[in-house]
Amino acid sequence: MTQIDLPDYRLQSADVAARFRRLKSRPVVLEARNLGKTFASSHDEVVALEDINFAVHRREFLCVIGPSGCGKSTLIRILAGLETPTEGEVLIDRKLVTGPGPERGMVFQGYTLFPWLTVKGNVMFGLKMAGRASIHAEPEARQWIEMVGLSRFENAYPHQLSGGMKQRVAIARALANQPRVLLMDEPFGALDAQTRCQMQSYLLQIWRNVDVTIVFITHDLDEAIYLADRILVLKPHPGRLDELIEVSVPRPRSSEQLISPEFLATRKRLEDLIHPPGQSAGDKLPTLRLTRAGDDVE
Amino acid sequence: MQASRMIFKQREPWFKIREELNAHRAGLLTGLSFFLPLAIWCLVSYAPFIWHPDVRLDVSADRTDVATVYTAGDHVSKEFFATFQKAVRDENAQILQDRQSGNATADIMVRRDNQKKLRQLASLAISNGWLRWNQREDDAAIYKIWKEIATGALTPKTPPLSPENFDIVRQNWQMLSADSADFDARKLPDQPILSLIPQGKPSNPSYLPAPGDVLLTGWHNFTSEAELGQLSMMERLLISIRIVWGGFLLSCLVGVPIGVLAGTYSLFSKLLEPFIDFFRYMPAPAFSTLLVAIFSAHDEPKIALVFIGTFFQMVLVISKTTRQLDHSLLESAQTLGAKPRQLFAHVVIPGILPDLYNDLRILLGWSWTWLVIAELIGVKTGLTEFIETQGRWRNFDAVFPVIIMIGLIGFFTDQFLAWFRGILFPYTRKPRSKSKRSNQRQELAKPAQTPTPRTTVKELTPT
Repeated sequence: MTQIDLPDYRLQSADVAARFRRLKSRPVVLEARNLGKTFASSHDEVVALEDINFAVHRREFLCVIGPSGCGKSTLIRILAGLETPTEGEVLIDRKLVTGPGPERGMVFQGYTLFPWLTVKGNVMFGLKMAGRASIHAEPEARQWIEMVGLSRFENAYPHQLSGGMKQRVAIARALANQPRVLLMDEPFGALDAQTRCQMQSYLLQIWRNVDVTIVFITHDLDEAIYLADRILVLKPHPGRLDELIEVSVPRPRSSEQLISPEFLATRKRLEDLIHPPGQSAGDKLPTLRLTRAGDDVE
Repeated sequence: MQASRMIFKQREPWFKIREELNAHRAGLLTGLSFFLPLAIWCLVSYAPFIWHPDVRLDVSADRTDVATVYTAGDHVSKEFFATFQKAVRDENAQILQDRQSGNATADIMVRRDNQKKLRQLASLAISNGWLRWNQREDDAAIYKIWKEIATGALTPKTPPLSPENFDIVRQNWQMLSADSADFDARKLPDQPILSLIPQGKPSNPSYLPAPGDVLLTGWHNFTSEAELGQLSMMERLLISIRIVWGGFLLSCLVGVPIGVLAGTYSLFSKLLEPFIDFFRYMPAPAFSTLLVAIFSAHDEPKIALVFIGTFFQMVLVISKTTRQLDHSLLESAQTLGAKPRQLFAHVVIPGILPDLYNDLRILLGWSWTWLVIAELIGVKTGLTEFIETQGRWRNFDAVFPVIIMIGLIGFFTDQFLAWFRGILFPYTRKPRSKSKRSNQRQELAKPAQTPTPRTTVKELTPT
């Protein structure tokens, strides 16, 4: 195998550097200050998160990545207001978060569409909760459905849709509330590789057209690099901030960039952070069986 | 390709773990599940060699030495039937002996006895269709039938007369016709005529009537006008339905809201469920006398019993269903801005409705099981009163149709409600192509027996 010399992952082209300067000059939308979460049961305490600090700027795309058990999901649930932190606070537009609210839309990993509502009904849900009359809510919902390309299915029920379509509806449903932040908890985790690829480019397209800030949790390194402006890497036991990486891959992103030097350099860095050298997955794989058929595959 | 597909096309197995059978087979099995029990019932009833420990009397006779009276249609054991026949034969032999020896005493009582003996032919005449049920004591008509059988104008077929009895009929007619060609109570012989020998067919005990009898009796009871002072079957059915549905609907009225609240709010759950959990272990029928004391003896205590029997289960079942609502639906609704009260109305209620509907379907069936006990308390009413009375008379061929009817009503109500669920909640209908698709997938998978080389992009990218 040939070893390619990779550039430093922090090296940014002039364009990318300028982009990051512009990004950081935009106001902070979401801020986590000294966040900590301890789960206490009767006989022991588990520290899930400790001293998390970061700020997300308007229209930024932030990915959160880390090995399993590092508290990614706990973090996003705290941001959504579904869990209360035991320490620290979350601010949205400089206001303290005390519970879930429509200004922070969320897309879950599992399919959480309301099965009794049609696609249109689901997308209108938030508008209805806000007290909007159907007459006004309906055309607005249609617009969002069109944006995710499901106009033909607006009267279909969730069980009639494929996994990818369901998540597109979930995205439209969250966006219909025009949230400041869209929180996404491994939204494409349950999809097959092909659909996931498609969904990623859909998401980037939507993000370009809509004024929304995205916090996206994933365990897929390629996905994180492909989507994010910055990647927040967590390390486990307890969940702490490891590094906040500025992705040097220029935008607009495309699948060709998966083998660009910047991409590979960032990927190498993430791999080193998440699987520290010396205990890479390959070394630990047990030899399950030796077959003669395997002799000529390489 | 075509050839390889031919090789792999094999007969689908009947036994596949957790796989659906195709529609044709599923339909066949559904039919069989009803047909088989019916077939077994028919076989046991109509194949005389299978069980048949009893004899069902077609022709019966009084015995002078035994007080118990058996009439046509009664069931007696085979052992008893043999002694019964022997006793009557012995009586007849005694009569003949007395007649020959001239010892026969002419007596006014003998004439009365002879008149009774003539009527031994009545049930046979009725089942052959020569007499109507209300003519069973019409001696003139019966007398004529004796004459016609003896002269050969009529031949009994259903059931036929045994040769032995045919002989007796002719012998008796000889004596009778000597005195009078038509019935005249005063012209009956003053010497005893012969008794008919008991005659019958092997049969199952009265508690297992044959399907045909059940069908005929059921048809008769359900279509005929009620006897004076009695209710028709439809009126009885309406009374029973009123009790079941009364109890069930009352229970729904109270139980559904409490169940949903208990499933939603811990407050109600902790406040109500422990007591209800305790109460449901007390058998509802134990309260019957209490209920009669409270509500007095009309429909009210019966409805109350169905209520008690259903309500407590209902609260627990529904609270459990409510708790099973996917929690992530509540969370996602909250992130969409739903307030607590909106959550209840817009997520909890619509979210549990399809399951709640199914629970109520099961609980309605549960209510039906309380029917018989409920109708027994206080004054017996409705279908149960009929079942009870007929059962006591051992008319099980009349009891079975009623029991089966209750079953059918329950079954078809449930089938209807299941179908209606699909109309009410169209999103719960399973996509129809599901099983087909899995079949297709199998078919596609089958030809691919040789492993195909697989590479993914990831493996090729250098690290």
